[in-house]
Amino acid sequence: MEIGPILRALTRNKLGVVLIALQIAFTMTVMVNAVFIINERSKAMARPSGLDEPNMFYLRSTGFGDQFNSEVTEQDDLDLLRNTPGIIDATPINAIPVSGGGSSTALRLEDDPTLPAIPAAVYYTDDHALNTMDLNLIAGENFTSNDVLYQRTSESRNFGKAVVSQTLAETLFPGEGLNAVGRTFYNGDNPVQIAGIIERLQSPWPNSSFVEQAMIVPLNFISGTSTYLIRTEPGERDRLMVETEETLASNNPNRIIRDLMSMNETREESYRLDSAMATILSVVIVTLVFITSMGIVGLAVFGINRRRKQIGTRRALGATQGEILRYFMLENFFISGVGVTLGAVFTIGFSIMLSSLFESPTMSWYYTPLGMVILILIGQIAVLGPSTRAARIQPAIATRSI
Amino acid sequence: MFFYYLRLSALSYRRNPILSSLMVLAIAIGIGAYMVIFTLNYVMGGNPIPQKSAQLFHLQIDSGNPNTESDPPQQLTYLDATALIEADAAFRETPTSKISGILEPESDDVRPFSIIGRGTSADFFPMFNVPFLYGTPWDTSADRNLQQVAVITKELNERLHGGDDSVGETLRLHGNNFQIVGVLDDWSPVPKFYDVNNNPFDSGEEVFIPWNLITPLEFPRSGNTNCWKAPDPGPEGFLNSECVWVQYWVELRDGDEEADYLQFLNNYAAQQKEFGRLPREMNNALFDVEEWLLKEEVLPNETKILSALAAMLLAVCLLNTIGLLLSKFLGKSAEIGVRQALGAHKGSLFLQHVIEAGFIGLLGGILGLAVAAAGLEGIKVILGDDLMRTDWIQLNPPVVVITLTLAIFATVVAGFYPIWRACNINPAIHLKTQ
Amino acid sequence: MLDMKNIRKVFRTDMVETCALDDFSLTVDQGEFVTITGPSGCGKTTFLNIAGLLETHTSGQYQLDGVDVTDLGDYARAKLRNQKIGFIFQSFNLMPDLNLFDNIDVPLRYRGMKGAERKERIDKALDSVGLFARRKHVPAQLSGGQQQRVAIARALVGDPLFLLADEPTGNLDSNTAQGVMALLEEINEAGTTIIMVTHDQSLAEQSKRNIHILDGRISNESERKIDTAATAA
Repeated sequence: MEIGPILRALTRNKLGVVLIALQIAFTMTVMVNAVFIINERSKAMARPSGLDEPNMFYLRSTGFGDQFNSEVTEQDDLDLLRNTPGIIDATPINAIPVSGGGSSTALRLEDDPTLPAIPAAVYYTDDHALNTMDLNLIAGENFTSNDVLYQRTSESRNFGKAVVSQTLAETLFPGEGLNAVGRTFYNGDNPVQIAGIIERLQSPWPNSSFVEQAMIVPLNFISGTSTYLIRTEPGERDRLMVETEETLASNNPNRIIRDLMSMNETREESYRLDSAMATILSVVIVTLVFITSMGIVGLAVFGINRRRKQIGTRRALGATQGEILRYFMLENFFISGVGVTLGAVFTIGFSIMLSSLFESPTMSWYYTPLGMVILILIGQIAVLGPSTRAARIQPAIATRSI
Repeated sequence: MFFYYLRLSALSYRRNPILSSLMVLAIAIGIGAYMVIFTLNYVMGGNPIPQKSAQLFHLQIDSGNPNTESDPPQQLTYLDATALIEADAAFRETPTSKISGILEPESDDVRPFSIIGRGTSADFFPMFNVPFLYGTPWDTSADRNLQQVAVITKELNERLHGGDDSVGETLRLHGNNFQIVGVLDDWSPVPKFYDVNNNPFDSGEEVFIPWNLITPLEFPRSGNTNCWKAPDPGPEGFLNSECVWVQYWVELRDGDEEADYLQFLNNYAAQQKEFGRLPREMNNALFDVEEWLLKEEVLPNETKILSALAAMLLAVCLLNTIGLLLSKFLGKSAEIGVRQALGAHKGSLFLQHVIEAGFIGLLGGILGLAVAAAGLEGIKVILGDDLMRTDWIQLNPPVVVITLTLAIFATVVAGFYPIWRACNINPAIHLKTQ
Repeated sequence: MLDMKNIRKVFRTDMVETCALDDFSLTVDQGEFVTITGPSGCGKTTFLNIAGLLETHTSGQYQLDGVDVTDLGDYARAKLRNQKIGFIFQSFNLMPDLNLFDNIDVPLRYRGMKGAERKERIDKALDSVGLFARRKHVPAQLSGGQQQRVAIARALVGDPLFLLADEPTGNLDSNTAQGVMALLEEINEAGTTIIMVTHDQSLAEQSKRNIHILDGRISNESERKIDTAATAA
């Protein structure tokens, strides 16, 4: 091995080393942080909402005119939906999980506004909610139809019972686990008893700090608009989406049906920015790796052309093709080594900056070393072609005059 | 001489087509990618109403929860908004809230449809320089007298009246009849500075009605409503509650008016405190348009992160260019030696190579425009059109100019060291070490 | 030691076949100082490249130190070059980025020699050409004559079977050239075989044996005993 001479020769060409090393360092910084962001977002996107999303859809009915009776229409609609073959269950609800719009409230253990509050998403719905969303009740029980209250929107939002997500139960009553069933918390000055605990239910806001803290309450608002969340038998969703919209639209001329959407579409739309970000970042990574590889190839080709005679001389002095190949691979390895070392510093610095600026999670330790290895490999692959060409330079070039 | 050097640049390009094309490509990709993000930042973080952004102010009255450290609410309570309207203390002012409703077209051919609207006041239109195609804003008296008047957008007018002048026609909205007094011309500021809640980049409202009508006609509110204390039962209870759902803008023509208005706000808040409201420490404020957009963090974190990444991408491309230019210029040592022998002095060699670098930068910039245009189209595609307005995602004249300038400038700057090396080549040494 | 029989080398292009060496036979024995002369384009460089294993020949037989190299592959030829041949080039061919020590080190590295032995040999070689004090310098800091001395030290450091010199004085002025020639003769006196290609007839006349090539064939061969000390003066 000829590590010493390679290093000493490199120190005589500092600019070339710095140019490539800086490119590698920046590329690594962007690549590692971008991959981290992409992973974080895919992780967020992969969190289950607790719902049987593939078989669910929803739509809204908004009435108009004096003949429209919201209460009667809603009851008729629900009776119709629940008796439609292929529909497992339907429930009126104020907000759709994952959709980005909904209602939240602040909960306390006592009726004392100075106590710290625990935020939670509230789904105002009825006793069919659990079955409709296919939520997994792990303790306590669902409320009954007798528990369900009907109120005008503008009235105060008092409810006495709630089915809460496991995370919310744990946040309210740490360490009690499933024994939190039956305990009471306060929504403002209104005491609420935990009727049951469900394994999982996400809030409507995927990016909120309390995404897993949600509850279902037996309170149903009467306003001009009803939102119906519907679960179908597997494979029946698409057909029923079309048919349900048509049926509901035609059986009452004083209302319109809008916002017909499957849960899958809702999820796609809610995470559109995240997936767009992931796509853009992937393009940036590919572009950067391409540019950097081109730079490495370009400078390697130039460096080899400049040293053709030198390479021929080395061959004449007894270097085998393999030794010439190894020389340039090693040379690139050392330049990349400087690059990824610098890159590690940049990467960690940039990631600390990002996580402190945007209060995002910090990068796991293994991202940086993995990035270093990958960039060294990219460098080696990029330089393989030019090095192979260098190894094929004829030794007879040494005796040729310029 | 300039054209001679330009011709030399072209010749030099042809002599090293791969190396030169690599450089052009690197610059094009670097500049193009940077300009894509720059365009997003430029528009999303831009000033949508530069003519008078410094005279328009968003009001803050801190009616928040005294038991928490939370930020002051972004909106006003109904109580505060109506009191301010009553006081009429600003040059112009307008409460605004987003509403929704069902619109029943007169023609039976068109089914009723749901529509997003805005309750506001007569001052809204002159305050925000809203252009009219037909008619005018409603009169201030219409606000006071609860007249059922409406201004609709050009698009809605297309849909309902085929684009004809519909002033005087009736609009049936949320079960009530409104008289159309005006039709807007194209108007869609990005970001939608007058209401940045929910999504500052969504398409605006299609119908405008007097804000005073929202509660009497029981329009559904479509914007944010935040309460730190449960309202008392009934509609009256809600109106008298500490729930915030009204945004309030005032136009103040100079610093004096601004100071006077803030004084007025403070007096008002002090008075409310005496009545037992506004339990927090007094924290009234006026934010002009740019301050407000900044405070509300309208520019998404995503574009900020992307800016930093794009800057690094540009840096990589320029480092690449430095390396390739160095290769190229040092490869021309023999030519430079001959030129020196033929009487070229360093100044003219310098100029020749600056022009050569600039030439490559220009080519890179032109290709970069194509990269940027393609990138923006790509972003439009992956964002889709139902999430937000994307019609503004395109190259605009300032961005085109900046792209070309930046490409040439950056390449020439990146070329300084290679140029300096090229001009200081001593052909003798060069030959000796060869 | 070096034994070429009926060597033929043909360069093919699309249009023509050029015969650079034709039916060329030569035997060189241990301790000889052979000069190869002839006009440009006569096949001198081709001979040098074939003798130095830098190129393969088209037909004929070439035995080096008793080994038939005719059918050897690239790897084996490289190893042979490294162990048996010391090259001296017209334009020195030093590595501009390496200092003198590292330059002389190059062939030893390819031999896979241990560090201590390499150092000992390099120091000795540097000493023998009088440049030990400048071992940390790079070639650009040296005069042409000094650079060629480094090249000679590099050629000698591996104790080759013979030195193959290609116009070693071609890039030097006449005084320096004489110095380099004297050094080569000294090396030859010490027992190293030297084969030197030159177009300079006066240098050829100093050597013990001169081969004149014309159009790829040996046209004239002369051999004589001369007093080296007198020639050098």
